Formats: sequence, C-alpha cells, structure tokens
Amino acid sequence: MDVNAFLDGFALVTEPQNLLYCLIGVLIGMLIGVLPGLGPAATIAILLPITYSIDPVSAIIMLAGIYYGAQYGGTITSVLLRLPGEASSVVTVFDGFALAKQGKAGTALGIAAIGSFVGATVSILGLTLVAPLIAGWALNFGDPEYAALALLGVLLVATIGNGNKLKAMIAAALGLLLATVGRDSFTGAERFTFGSLQLTEGIDFVVVAMGLFGVGEILYNLEERHGKPHVPAVVTNIWPSRKDIKQSSGAIGRGSLIGFVLGVLPGGGAVMSSLAAYAAEKRISKHPERFGRGAIEGVAAPETANNAAATSSFIPLLTLGIPANASMAMLFGALLILGISPGPQLVEERPDLFWGVINSMYIGNLILLILSIPLVGVFVRILRVRPAILAPITALITILGVYTINNSTFDIFVMIVFGLIGYLMKKIGFEPGPMVLAFVLGSIVENGFRRSMLIFDGDPTGFFTRPISGTILAAFVLVALWPVAKSILARRKAATVAPAPTERDDVDTPTR
Amino acid sequence: MRTTNHLLAATAGVAALALSACGVSNTTGGSGDGEEYPAGGVEMYVGASAGGSSDLISRAVSKGLSDELGASFPVINQEGANGALAANKVAKAKADGKTIAIQNASLFAITPLAVSEDEVTDLADFDVVQGVSRDDYVMVTGPKSGFKSLDDIKAATKKVTYATTGVGTGAQLSCGLTYASADIDAEAVPFDGGAPALTAVLGNQVDTACIQVGEAIENIESGKLTPLSVFGPERVEYLPEVPTAKEQGLDVEVSQYRFMTVPKGTPDNVKDTIAEAMQATFKTEEYQAFNKQNSLTPMEISGDEVVAQLDEDKKRFADLVEQYGLDLGQG
Repeated sequence: MDVNAFLDGFALVTEPQNLLYCLIGVLIGMLIGVLPGLGPAATIAILLPITYSIDPVSAIIMLAGIYYGAQYGGTITSVLLRLPGEASSVVTVFDGFALAKQGKAGTALGIAAIGSFVGATVSILGLTLVAPLIAGWALNFGDPEYAALALLGVLLVATIGNGNKLKAMIAAALGLLLATVGRDSFTGAERFTFGSLQLTEGIDFVVVAMGLFGVGEILYNLEERHGKPHVPAVVTNIWPSRKDIKQSSGAIGRGSLIGFVLGVLPGGGAVMSSLAAYAAEKRISKHPERFGRGAIEGVAAPETANNAAATSSFIPLLTLGIPANASMAMLFGALLILGISPGPQLVEERPDLFWGVINSMYIGNLILLILSIPLVGVFVRILRVRPAILAPITALITILGVYTINNSTFDIFVMIVFGLIGYLMKKIGFEPGPMVLAFVLGSIVENGFRRSMLIFDGDPTGFFTRPISGTILAAFVLVALWPVAKSILARRKAATVAPAPTERDDVDTPTR
Repeated sequence: MRTTNHLLAATAGVAALALSACGVSNTTGGSGDGEEYPAGGVEMYVGASAGGSSDLISRAVSKGLSDELGASFPVINQEGANGALAANKVAKAKADGKTIAIQNASLFAITPLAVSEDEVTDLADFDVVQGVSRDDYVMVTGPKSGFKSLDDIKAATKKVTYATTGVGTGAQLSCGLTYASADIDAEAVPFDGGAPALTAVLGNQVDTACIQVGEAIENIESGKLTPLSVFGPERVEYLPEVPTAKEQGLDVEVSQYRFMTVPKGTPDNVKDTIAEAMQATFKTEEYQAFNKQNSLTPMEISGDEVVAQLDEDKKRFADLVEQYGLDLGQG
C-alpha cells in the first residue's frame, strides 16, 4: 500500500466541497433506505446527470455515500414496521420487531447504528489494507463454492427460526419452490409462468418480502385489534444501555468479520453474511431460546454484518472492475461516464479517486452514526401512532416500494397475493422468515449447482475435491449433525448420572 | 429470481413526473401551436436494469434528445425477458412518439432462436427510426488456461468450457458458433449477465468467455485476460490487435447493435424530428467521448438500413444454428 497516496486521499476528503458531497450522499442514502423498494441503485441512476457537472472525485464520494447510507436507513423499517427492504435485513426483523413490540425499539435501532458503524469501519480498514489480496480470494470462489455456501445457508434457515422446526422446514421448502418461477437461465424454458411475460424474470425478493412480512402483518393486526381500544405502545428505552452494548459487543465483533469476508463475494455475499452472523450468534449463545423473542444480539449481528458486507463489496469493483450488485453496477456506470474505468489499474492510474473514495467512507460512516442518534428518538415515535393510521401508511409504503422496483402494477398484485399467504401463514403458525430466505438462496443453490455440473462435465465429486467447497460442505455436515450429536451426548450423560430405563429416555428427550 | 438490488426504475418514474412537469411549463409559454412534438416529454423505455450498457446508452441519448428538443426524455427501466417487456410497452403504446425505446438487435435476431414462439418479439410492431451503435463481443481467456490463440484451443485435448452472458444472447451465439464451426468439443456455461461471466473467467472457473468489449477491456489492457477473437465485420477500434473470427477462417459474425424504435404507424414528422435530434446528438463531443469510454462503435445508419441488417442477421443466424446443430435453448 502506498502510504503517501493514502494520506493524500485524506487531504482530498477533508476539502469542504468533498465533505459537503459526502454529507449530502449519506443523508440521501439514509432517507431512501427508509423506503423499501426505492433502492440506492435507482437513486444513483437519477442523480447520474448531476455528476456530469461536478468534480469526479466529489461525484463518486456522493454516490458511494448514497449506497452505504441506505444500509443504515433500511434497518428502521425492518425494526419498526416489519418491512425488510432488502434480503440482507430479513433476519434483523426477527428480533428487531420483537424488541420494538416490547418498547425497546430505541435499543434495537441504537445498537444497529453502532454495529453498522463498527462493521463498516472494520470493513473499510480491511479495504484499505488487504483489498488486492482478498480480491484474488474472491475469484477462487466459483460456482461450486456458491452452491455449497448457499446450501449451508438453507440449512441455517431451517434452524434459525424459533418456532416449530418442521414448520420452518416446510416454509423453507416452499421458498425454494418459489425460486424456480421464471425463465430457466440454462435452457430458456418457462417454469411456472403460466404464459405471463411478467413472470419470466421470476418474482422479485422485495415483492415476496413486502407481501409476507408487511401486508401479512397488517392483515393479521386488523383482525387481532378489531374492536379493541388502542393502547399506545410503551417506548421505554430511547438509547441502548451500557448493558445492551456490552451484551452485543461480541456479536458486533464477529458480525464485522463475517460481513467483511462474505461481502467480497460478488453475488449473494450480503444476504449470506447477515444470515451467517445471526446463526453464529444463536449457536454461540448460552440461551439460544431468546433469539426471535427480542435478543439484542439478534439485531446487532446481522446489522453489523450487512454493513460490513456492503462496504467490502467495493473491493471487487475497485480492484477487479467487477460490480458485485446493482448499486455497484450503477457506480461502475457513473465512473465510466466520468471518464474513469474501474479495474486493476485504477489504484495506479487514479490514486486520488481510489483513496479519496475509500477515505470518504470513514468520514461518511461517522456522519451517519452522529445523524442516527437524534433520529432514533424521532423514528421510535412512529410506534405511538395508532394502528388505524399507521396500517394504511405502511400499506402505502409497501405498494409504492414494490411499484418502484420495475414500474409494474403487476408486481403490486403479486405482493397482495403474498400478503394473503403471509396472513394465513401467521394464523396457522408458520414464520415467513425461512420462506423468504430460502427463496433468496434457492436460485443461488440451483444456478451454482447446475453451472458447476457443466464445469465439472457432470462429475459431482468436484464439489468435494475443491478445497473451499469441500470445506464448506464439511461444515454443512457438522452443522447438520451437531444437534444429533448433542442429543446423543446429553443422553449418555443422563444415562451415566441416573441409569434409568432406556426406553423412557427416548420419550423424554425431545425438548425445544 | 431477480435480485433485490435491481430496483432501478422507480425513481426514474418520479423524476419523469417532475421533469415532464417542467417540460410542459417550458413549451406552453412559447410557441402558439402548443401541441408540437415533443411537448410534455417523452418516455424512453429500456429493457434492462440501470448500469448496463443498454441503460447507459439510453441515458446518453436521452440527455442528447433533451438538449436538442428542449423537452424531457426520462429513461424508464423495465427489465425482463431479454427486453421483451419494455418492447411490449412500446408496441402497445399510442403511435404519437411519446413512448419510444432504444432496443437491442439480439431481441429480434437471436432471442427467437432460444425461446418458444409465443414469446418472440415481432419487429413488425415497430418503426425503426435510427441506428445508434454497435457493441462488439470478444472471446477472452484467463492467463492460467494456457491458451494464447484460437489455434491453441483447437489443439486442446479436453473439453473446453465457455461462459456466456445468458441464454439467447449474442455472447452465447458468438462463442457457440465459433466452437461449433471449428469443431471443438465445448460446453456452454450461461451466467446472468456480463459481470458474473467476467468473474468466472478471471478466476479460471471457466476456460473462455464471450463478453462485451466494454466489460472486458480493462482486464485485457492490464494483462489479466487474453483476447482471442472479436466477432464484428471488421476489427474493433479499441482492440486493434485482436483478429476477427472471419480473419481466423471461421464463418462467425455476431455483434450487438442498438437502434431507436417507436410504435408502428407513428407520423413521419415525429420520426424525422427524433432522427434529426439523434444525429445532432451523435455529433456532440460529449456523446462521442461516451462511445469511446464504453468501447462502442458508432452505427449511425438509417432506420431502413437497420431493418435490412436485422432481417439479414436473423436469417443468417437461423441458418448457421441449423447448419451446425447448435442448441441455444428449447428452440
């Protein structure tokens, strides 16, 4: 790393003009992050014409700010309204919304902000120090590895839920099935599209998530609260206590690492990171039963991880010229318009831009943390609004959000259908979380597996002989067998302590 | 499924509203016959998500048209079915030139070879106004593959894998025809777009890939990828060292090109206005710099010439695919 260039980058960022664009960027990002559907990619596209007229470095600092600023905003709707705007914040809903119901929305949002800041900062440090190294590693991560990783993800999905395991698995299976809708990307054949051109591209994640979580919740509440007087939610903690921070510090540390490493992988890294961070916390915890019922680590881990991942997804763009997601693709386009080609030569050709943008992220994240503190107090008041007013507003946000994805009214109707499904699922005790996450992972597993088989020329042993995919599959086996091993061990222990008739043991052991 | 991040278009809609409002106030004040085209703004659909070359070209032309005609031309992304969804929007719109789109040749000449008949977009639903530019494909290989030229690949003893940017794309057709006509044992590995295909070939997950020049050029220039062939009628200005497939003795000529379309039956004066404004845009320095930056070759021919080229390509591709028994999809 060129230390001088790095320091010059800081000098560049602290110019008043660049600081201003950084502030504007993160502010816009945070605001659009609040509205599900309207994502950073769309916003960057709209603001693209403005970049023609300003200095390239300032322009990219602003556009990058929109991207990571949006990651902060996305938490707010997940926690307060149960509306995860993107796949990487689905797991935040589990404990975040539970905390909000207990009057601890402020705690959840505060910890999420702190975690996001720490995760992003750790990730920027990684970006500063080891970007080229880790970029090479990301290239070794091919389809067999994605398939194995996503398969592990599906297994985690089935175990992270807090309710009935069987029901979680059924929901996950349905999610996998939903992922098959659309044109097969290998043969061009239509699958479950019923002749509808609108379905050829598959169903969008936001449509499914808004329907199952958002609309489903609204419908369920309408029935629950029918005729009952409105009791304003108690909002106790506005800001996390010392104890909360202490309790989540481990989760934030581990989330940062998981997020940084997985975020480098183009395609699916961010979703996997929040899921993996959540699952890791639940496994490590001495009281896993708290998860899903308002465990603060359940908010800290995924929020830290998805911000760390969002930041490290700059690595493939800046060092390899590969955009890892739609927002990165927009930034790629913006750089091209400004006359800069992102790629391996960027750091030598335009060190000012490379280090200017990276260093602006240190400052941008600090601004976001400072902005978040007073805003948490404002946002938690949303919960005091009576449902009769809040429900229609939430419905409006979901409809607007879904429409904006692809300017399609068809998507709105699909979302309403998913809303009804979400309502029915809740009535009969199914969680939407496993279904949504399995839906996201399903196409990664399928495409990864089928592409691998093409690459391996039909020989499945390739999955086990490649070092990374082999390791992931070994982890898969371990995770799958762990509960079985644990119960056998527990039984042995019980047997040695109190040698009771063995037939009885079989009946007693299943506990949840 | 679509990834969550592809949430592009939305805002374009909001911006469109805001901008078209401005457009109205601009035009109503001045001229007496307030209904002169393009009063009130024009919606420009694009059948791809924001950030890709189709989108960027539409945005560059949109900016040029706005500057030339003094009205807004908001770009509305409607991704899906290789661009068929956006095409449908234009085909069904009123033929007044208020709904237009820059479309890709592949949707009309290549995609029909890969999808079922009822999903085929018909060129007869549109009037082609003006050609825009050509976007060439290049076949590349990673440094660890050991291949330096097409001849090395011909001599390969094992099956060669090639990444494409998806089913029914020019990338698939160009690579597929090359291997089929050179009689090389090869396997297509379709990816969802150029970026993942590029990643795969950079990481040596596949032996070769056919992708658009603009997506590969940085890594070619830095020596991380070796270019083997381009597929245009002549060499590409941006990669002068790389021979065409024709030069290497293969009957393969595939390129992506884009052109402005309006609904069938749009009045001639509207079409002329659009074509003239586009030609004026092509002359601006800003637009020419844009082409260069994105490795695009100008193909600023008339609408009739585009149609003739499309008809010829369509027939030629269908014949070649049949001749070599190439399977692009379900057919």
